[in-house]
Amino acid sequence: MLLAVENLVKEYKRRWRTTFRLEASFSVERPEIIGVMGPNGSGKTTLFELITGSNTPSAGRVVCAGQDIHRVKTGERDRLAIHYHQSYQVRRFRRYKPDFLLEPARSEYPLVHLFDEPQFNTQDGYIGFMLDFFRRLRGEGRVVFVCLHPNESYHLDILREVCERFIFVERGRIALHAGWNALVADARVAGYLRTT
Amino acid sequence: MFEATHLHKRFGYHVVLEDVSMSFAQGRLTGIMGPNGAGKTTCFNLLTGRYRPDRGRIRFEGRDITALPPRAIARLGISRSFQVMNLFDDYSALDNVLIATPEVRERGFSVWRRFGGSTDVLESVGLAGKAHVRAKDLSYGDRRALEIGVALAARPRLLFLDEPTAGLGTEATARIARLIAELKRSITIVLIEHDMKFLFGLADHIYVMHWGQVIAQGSPAELRANPWVQRSNLGHAVN
Repeated sequence: MLLAVENLVKEYKRRWRTTFRLEASFSVERPEIIGVMGPNGSGKTTLFELITGSNTPSAGRVVCAGQDIHRVKTGERDRLAIHYHQSYQVRRFRRYKPDFLLEPARSEYPLVHLFDEPQFNTQDGYIGFMLDFFRRLRGEGRVVFVCLHPNESYHLDILREVCERFIFVERGRIALHAGWNALVADARVAGYLRTT
Repeated sequence: MFEATHLHKRFGYHVVLEDVSMSFAQGRLTGIMGPNGAGKTTCFNLLTGRYRPDRGRIRFEGRDITALPPRAIARLGISRSFQVMNLFDDYSALDNVLIATPEVRERGFSVWRRFGGSTDVLESVGLAGKAHVRAKDLSYGDRRALEIGVALAARPRLLFLDEPTAGLGTEATARIARLIAELKRSITIVLIEHDMKFLFGLADHIYVMHWGQVIAQGSPAELRANPWVQRSNLGHAVN
């Protein structure tokens, strides 16, 4: 098992009222490229932050290569999962417990790569190199998440070309689809794609 | 000839380079390209000793130069130019090159020898007739050429050029391309470039950087075979 997201819940509260709630539960058994889509504010980036351990869940856990990532030393979490924002990488962790109380990472290099809205434009040819990079990572036995806002029609081509599975996030709920056809058959996804 | 292995560099929370390995073969022109913020210039700064890598090793001709200061690396025959211009504006083109020429420990006519060397350098970058023009009075294209001349003054065996065509028009870019193609015959060059077309025409090997990592590498022909490159502006321009 490469990645298991077990009954993960994140709640944002303002005083006693819950303003946002994200629930997720899924697992990834083998290396693959997973496309992530969803409207703004649906919880995509929060989900990524929870998986990399830079945001603390309200309940549930994220198990990456057999280790609960939230119990791993903050400086070593990037040996399990990495979050890429548009064109750079960030490692920013809040420390609730001192590092010496946490366990070391058992992996030497990251196994889960999360790409948050990589900048795809067709003017330069970098898309091709990025897609090859995703495939290379998968070939090396890693899991790749690609989160994309399909602003342009070729963004959908990219997702269809490169991804094996899809996650659709809407209002903090997650739907997993086994392939492109299953994804577009979902009425909510169809509705979302019409609006973009 | 020059080899960097598993370089890592962070600035605070930002990971600028992660596990970057590169090697530059003698007599070849290696290109580094990538979108803004990919870590190209940081990579140069590490390779030429401006920054110390957090992890990783840099070797030049079998010697470990990882912890050496920039001046020691320069003395080994490695020279670089910068993305932003570093010229003494009030000095003449010749003076700019003279200043960059390393001290010659000789007596007597050494001054004349240095002088002669600098004139040769100016000639090689196509500024022979403008030796006594002040740097600030030169045209932008000439200043770029002079930048390369300043880097050449130390007679390097390995030359790093950081976007030598930044801000240049097509004609001036073509001139720099000719100049680099000429230099390529005598020294090993590493070139950062935004303009893929420019790089594809000159380089023997190219590294593509993004997110602080090398995401692709290969010969220009191999990289150009990528279907998305074919679809891009570049593909149309080349075909």
